[in-house]
Amino acid sequence: MSELIQIGAARPKAPQPQDLTLRWSERAVEELEALKGHYPDLKSLILPALWISQREYGGHLPPEGIAEVAARLQRTYAEIEGVATFYSMYNTAHAPGRHMIEVCTCLSCHMCGAYRLADILEEKLGVKMGETTEDGVFTLHEVECLDACDRAPVIQVGPDYLDPQATLQDEGGEAKMRAWVDRLIDDLRSRPEPSSVRLADTVVQVHVRATER
Amino acid sequence: MAAVANVPLVKVSINDVEIEVPKGELIVESVKRLGLEIPIFCYHPRMKPVGMCRMCLVEVGFKQQDGSVRKMPKPQAGCTLPASEGMVVYTDTEPIHADRRGVLEFLLINHPLDCPICDRGGECPLQNNTMAYGPSTSRFIELKRHLPKAFPLSTYVTLDLERCIQCGRCVRFTEEISGDHDLAFRFRGADMQPSTFQLTDFESKFSGNVIEICPVGALTSAKYRFRARPWDLETTPSVCTVCSNGCNVWFDHRAGKFVRINGRANEAVNEEWTCDKGKFGHEHYNAADRPTQPLVRQGDGFAPTSWSGAYDPVLAAFAEGGDRVAALVGPRVSNEALFLLRRLFERAFKSARVSSNWRRTPGSGSVQGTIADVESGGPVLVFGTSLADDLPIVHLRLRKGATNAGARVVNAFSRPTEVDRFAAVSLHYRPGSELALARGLHGLLAGTGATAEAVEAETGVPADRLREAVEVLKEGGTALSSQGLYDLSDGPQIVEALAGIARATGGRSECWATGANEQGAIELGLAGEGATATLQACAEGRVKALWLVAADPFALHPDRALVERALETVEFLVVQSPVGSEALAYASVVLPTALPAEQDGTYTNCERRVQRVQPAVPPPGDGKPDWRVFSECLLRALPETPLFNPREVMEAIAAEVPAFAGCRYEALGPEGTVLGGNLLDTPDEPAMVGGQA
Ligand code: SF4
Ligand code: FES
Ligand code: FES
Repeated sequence: MSELIQIGAARPKAPQPQDLTLRWSERAVEELEALKGHYPDLKSLILPALWISQREYGGHLPPEGIAEVAARLQRTYAEIEGVATFYSMYNTAHAPGRHMIEVCTCLSCHMCGAYRLADILEEKLGVKMGETTEDGVFTLHEVECLDACDRAPVIQVGPDYLDPQATLQDEGGEAKMRAWVDRLIDDLRSRPEPSSVRLADTVVQVHVRATER
Repeated sequence: MAAVANVPLVKVSINDVEIEVPKGELIVESVKRLGLEIPIFCYHPRMKPVGMCRMCLVEVGFKQQDGSVRKMPKPQAGCTLPASEGMVVYTDTEPIHADRRGVLEFLLINHPLDCPICDRGGECPLQNNTMAYGPSTSRFIELKRHLPKAFPLSTYVTLDLERCIQCGRCVRFTEEISGDHDLAFRFRGADMQPSTFQLTDFESKFSGNVIEICPVGALTSAKYRFRARPWDLETTPSVCTVCSNGCNVWFDHRAGKFVRINGRANEAVNEEWTCDKGKFGHEHYNAADRPTQPLVRQGDGFAPTSWSGAYDPVLAAFAEGGDRVAALVGPRVSNEALFLLRRLFERAFKSARVSSNWRRTPGSGSVQGTIADVESGGPVLVFGTSLADDLPIVHLRLRKGATNAGARVVNAFSRPTEVDRFAAVSLHYRPGSELALARGLHGLLAGTGATAEAVEAETGVPADRLREAVEVLKEGGTALSSQGLYDLSDGPQIVEALAGIARATGGRSECWATGANEQGAIELGLAGEGATATLQACAEGRVKALWLVAADPFALHPDRALVERALETVEFLVVQSPVGSEALAYASVVLPTALPAEQDGTYTNCERRVQRVQPAVPPPGDGKPDWRVFSECLLRALPETPLFNPREVMEAIAAEVPAFAGCRYEALGPEGTVLGGNLLDTPDEPAMVGGQA
């Protein structure tokens, strides 16, 4: 919304539902149909449908992905966009890199050296928190408690929780972290599937019953 | 919220005064019974309370056995607090004042305080509440949130995100009232902004209402922007004459010029809403090309003249003209003017050729219930009309009936409309198959052996859908349509079939007018032979003099060629018009007249409710009210006492036209009166829209 705004300039019109290019795969449509039976009305289906859409649009939820959910649930674009932009795990603002590394910096992790871990990641990837590497492989994010304090400091990549198995207080803890970060980066580089797609799929599979798959 | 009959009463104490209120009534409403007020932002009596702004905090407690009051430790939001037995409420204590100061201080943290350049300044609830309850200085020295200002959300609505206090009224309006849900909150926390999807055009047909309900200057009118300050405006209660719903409005004007329209409450008609067509459809009051003095033709041009200079040739051309003189009337002419026009033609010109019907086929529709009945919850068949365009307020009522009272709606139209969003069954038929569908539905409902499959073959509506529709409608289904059906070549037969449907289900048959006083003309017997017949007679030279009354045939009649031929052929053409129109070029005499809010008169809306409009601004130049033009012509043409003011005209109408029996200005209550309703036994009470005629 940074464009300079002129009074009286006509706004573009939203597309008519019938003019949308629907991009969901057949499997996604089947999953949606299965989920419809789980809820009393289509409104309750917005969150799972957004996850399906995020998966189908490659781990990113662009306006088209939001519009497609609206069209499939027969609700208005604005309503779906409002829901999607409320939650931080829907990637509505921009497309994340192939692997989104989310570093927990909440209390337990902080005490165990999360910020040092974050510094190492920033240094090795050459980006700051919230940024994506130039080759588009990594996006770094700082997040609140991941509910895995026993593994502090912990990071999340897609559906996986990973930790260096060392804290800053340990003997040679920082060196261990560095070595682990190197291995982590190499390992992730070798994985072609975007982690946010894997995460979205995991969430969807939690909703869809085994018999409905 | 008014007391509902069978809700038990509970005793509550408000600021130590005991009163009885219906159980469950919101405290924010209960205090009004004592003449008190709780400051609010997000609460709106016509929408569900959400408790988002915390402005309405009150102290609440309960009486203990020993008579002492035990207060809850924290204040409660009065807008979400239902009254219950023994509740003790304080609205005016020191802690509450401190709370209100605190809430306002928070609300103002991000508010730009640009009141001097804000359109809302002077009528802004945020300004008022801050004046009454807020802190006088700010302690906030940090950077405020900065966002786009004057963002054009649509051609009508301008959004200033910095001023928004995130009360959600606008979002809830589109969700709960207009039903289009075009607005939603995007993002969260301090970044939360009400907006359309990707800031696309705000297309709602009722978008203007959010301007009025926004409690700050975040949503302002693009049309009214910077045209006046509220304290410079005069306002006159009026009725919108853009369509047949007859919404009650405030007509705001400044120095004799129209400025803006705001909704005015009338529970029987528009509650307090307006549609965009009405709210933004009064700009022609200020049009530059309005005729301002009588003109007579002189060669290729016109010569200005006096009113009597204009009457003489007119009366000479029409006198005793019989069948060879005719008049065509537009849809926005008052009852009084219509009646006098007919009298002028009958008595002075001996002609019955006065016609107000611009439809393709003749017909007078059907009115059996009222606008308010539409929301009662019974099943409804909407047939052949896009309700939000043709009868916008009826659309809102029907939606309310569907969402609040569980009314099941069947929507039959050739393309999707807004009604489909809440309809139980949508029947999209092939254009042109209206009659087949109406007859088919009638057959299915009346059980005359018709099959859904046969109807499907004729109309393209799937047989299953038809069966579903019959299921919905069979118990008391009301058929609701607009007289726009008469624009179809088989209009009368369709309306007849719809009446059959209503008979078969035991529901009402409603086929409502769409022009502001179209129904009034029908009641006054002015429908006549129809504009098409008259224009044809003109084109063939059978009519030598034609009088157009506030009617631009080029805009009202679909056949342009016929209109051109008629206006060229007719020997003498009077164009009596409040606004510039294409027909002026053909005129022999031009009579400048007043628009509805520039003259006194009554209008009959689609449910036959007669409502009075009084002059708010003067007509430009020498313009005269339509009724006065006819009254003056009658005075010149006939040796009888003419009627000198609209009040007398209405008395004459009541005496002569059975439908209007008992109708007097004094009997029109503040909400107007439905013809044939309780007119006869209304006691003398001053009309709210008073003033001398
Ligand atoms: S724009 Fe106005 S009505 Fe809408 S949320 Fe903001 S303050 Fe409330
Ligand atoms: S603080 Fe990091 S997982 Fe709980
Ligand atoms: S008016 Fe009660 S919380 Fe807003």
